Amino acid sequence: MPGKTPDKEPVENGGYRGGKDIDMKDKDLKPKGKKADDEMTVVVPPSKASKQSSAPPPNDAEGDVAMDDAEKTGDGEVKVDPVVQTINDIKSNFALLDRAVALFDARFSLRALRSISSIRKRLTPDILAQAISETYTSSSPGAGDAKKLLLAIGRSDVSLGRQPGPEMEIDSEPKASGKNGAKKEPKEVIPEIDIFLAILTQVALHDSKQFQQGFEFSQYLVDRVRSLNRRTLDSLAAKAYFYYSLFAEQLAPLPPSPRSPIVSIRPTLLAALRTAVLRKDVDTQASVIVLLLRNYLLTSHIAQADLLVSHTQFPENAANNQVARFLYYLGRTRAIQLRYTEAHEHLTAATRKAPSSACALGFSHSATKLLLVVELLMGDIPDRATFRQPNMETALQPYLLLVQAVRVGNLGDFETVIAEHADTFGRDGTYTLILRLRQNVIKTGIRMMSLSYSRISLRDICIRLHLGSEESAEYIVAKAIRDGVIEATLDRERGFMKSKEVGDVYATREPGEAFHDRIRACLALHDESVKAMRFPMNQHRLELKNAQEAREREREMAKEIQEGDLDEDDLGGEFEGM
Amino acid sequence: MADRQLTTVLTQLKTNPPYAEASALLSRAKLLLLQLNALTPTPATPAAVLALARATYEQGALASIRAKNADAFTRYVAQLQPFYELCGGGGGGGAGPGGPGAEQNKITGLYLLLLLTQGRYGEFHSELEALATKGGSAEADRYLGYPIRLERWLMEGSYDRVWKAMMKKGEVPCEEFGVFSEILTFQIRSEIASSSERAYPSLPLSSTKSLLFLDSEGAVVEFARSRGWIVRDGHIFFPTAQDAGDEGEQDKEMSQMVIENTLGYARQLETIV
Repeated sequence: MPGKTPDKEPVENGGYRGGKDIDMKDKDLKPKGKKADDEMTVVVPPSKASKQSSAPPPNDAEGDVAMDDAEKTGDGEVKVDPVVQTINDIKSNFALLDRAVALFDARFSLRALRSISSIRKRLTPDILAQAISETYTSSSPGAGDAKKLLLAIGRSDVSLGRQPGPEMEIDSEPKASGKNGAKKEPKEVIPEIDIFLAILTQVALHDSKQFQQGFEFSQYLVDRVRSLNRRTLDSLAAKAYFYYSLFAEQLAPLPPSPRSPIVSIRPTLLAALRTAVLRKDVDTQASVIVLLLRNYLLTSHIAQADLLVSHTQFPENAANNQVARFLYYLGRTRAIQLRYTEAHEHLTAATRKAPSSACALGFSHSATKLLLVVELLMGDIPDRATFRQPNMETALQPYLLLVQAVRVGNLGDFETVIAEHADTFGRDGTYTLILRLRQNVIKTGIRMMSLSYSRISLRDICIRLHLGSEESAEYIVAKAIRDGVIEATLDRERGFMKSKEVGDVYATREPGEAFHDRIRACLALHDESVKAMRFPMNQHRLELKNAQEAREREREMAKEIQEGDLDEDDLGGEFEGM
Repeated sequence: MADRQLTTVLTQLKTNPPYAEASALLSRAKLLLLQLNALTPTPATPAAVLALARATYEQGALASIRAKNADAFTRYVAQLQPFYELCGGGGGGGAGPGGPGAEQNKITGLYLLLLLTQGRYGEFHSELEALATKGGSAEADRYLGYPIRLERWLMEGSYDRVWKAMMKKGEVPCEEFGVFSEILTFQIRSEIASSSERAYPSLPLSSTKSLLFLDSEGAVVEFARSRGWIVRDGHIFFPTAQDAGDEGEQDKEMSQMVIENTLGYARQLETIV
């Protein structure tokens, strides 16, 4: 930052220090929490907010930032009215947005977006209306847009250009001068601030459950965002699309119905995607791809989702939470298409990328559940420790029973679990996948038999696995032998299965492969962390300078050697030192 | 005008004329649809015309199944998809799924079976997933349950049940489903054959007949010959794969892999340290 003043230093550093970290965690807070609402239908927005506030702030990166902000805006104030405080918070973000435009640095807009989650708890239409009316003057060119905002929150009677209250004056004055120099009064409202207020409007409408109104307003907003071509607007635009699609999902014919409004917003989203790609707008691109995928999967248009994935490229440097979601949806698509290995890979990545804080619990739950089912489908038994995690235990209970049934290979248990928890599985969207597990249960059962008995009659197999008939048992066992599930032979005349001796696992290449996999994972982790590291700007120039100096020193030394000023001893010492 | 003509064409189609005649009728019907501007559905299309268009495509799909024209059938199914989406799920769409008189389940069931016989399991399950979210239990449906059950049995290996389901009169939901039985029989027979090769050291000829659902021992011998099995003393012996040569190759492959991996680690370490 070339022109920064010393008093801003700590804030800047804060941005740098935890930059990436905060990015991931906080940005995840809101949307992931949202997803929890939608997918789990357990957590509703208000309770989520309370959960957020109950989270211990010191551990939370977002808490840090919020506190920073509070210190900044609350300079010299002892008692703060919550309404005024909220308005101040909103306004403090304008400064960030201003800076984002001035310095062309997206991180400032990201920080502004991040603060939405903390503002959200206190946001009411009245507060928002006041903030809007204080931002715009009735004569400014943005007045028309401001009127629209006010109309959307049902406060169209509020007049624009209201002067801020006296206590506002006190702290907004030093703040403005501290941040933007003397650029206060004739301030023109930049589109970023405009859109930011519009997003707040969306949030307010969503939290007060005015979905129809929110949807109409979002349509207007999305059109407006598209008409503006500003790179500093990218991250804001992504958010606007996010709420747009969220509103559409909540409207009358709910998603599985082909008449749901989410079908009608697809052209808009696709157009947005095209524009985003053309403009190299990574934020919008990532977020719209994720929204489209979600959209398709909600109406079970698997083929379309698959085509979308194969025809687009998910931006590499997208925000972490978008990557996690993308991987989740991709994993889901692949699981449905029976491409379990890929599904497993994507879902593992998704669960690992999911933030560990309590706010994104819903996402972690959904991803973990799907991952467990996919693991079972692949013939693996998931780790017992997964079910012991304190915040997952209850949610995963039905899955634990399922895993137990599959592990033992008991078809009867398996069917009872399915029948008992059909609703839960249906709600999680794993029901059809779980139905496919039947064959795995049978295979496991056969494997258990083959391990325990060296010779067993087909009739016994049939009875123990509750299969229909001996003939079925014979075919099933034969298939299992062919698929390499067991090492055995069948004797048709006498009707039994004879197991072969099992070889030593350590004589095969399996341990080597497992070892190789782990090493590869570690190496990939190392590479990724190197890539993810953030280096201070212009640091390399300093190093270059040092190198230059060193070279000069060397040259000098060489010169001295040439001139014979340096002793042989000296030289030797030098080398030893090196 | 055009819709009345279309109705007469449709009634002719419903009498199951031979394929050549049916396709001629179908192309006439499609021309009429074009006049009605209902070749592709829009929300603005009147419901009566929509139903006519849908019925036309349905008849087309059934006709092409009877003629064993899988490509044409797939095309018709694709064309029907938007009609079903427009009719189904809408308020007051009618009694059954896909509106009144629609044969959506029958068509979808046939499509599922087609996917199954062509081994396109991925698409089969995608389709199934779509059915699941539409609500209603697909398995209980007469037309949809059939392919779903078949798939499950095929996957777990209960070939005898598949066989029974195909051969029993009451099990097959309607004659169009019978078209696939030949392909399915061939499919399960080769599945059984390949698993038998691995599972049994030898098989008596007499019981192989019932194992492979063949009619006579002569057919068994013929089948055995086509798979390259050796028939001796009333028993079938399966030629064992050349294990010894394979193993040596595997060993070599493995050591090469180990070397490759180790070199890879070394290179990576070099970059890290």
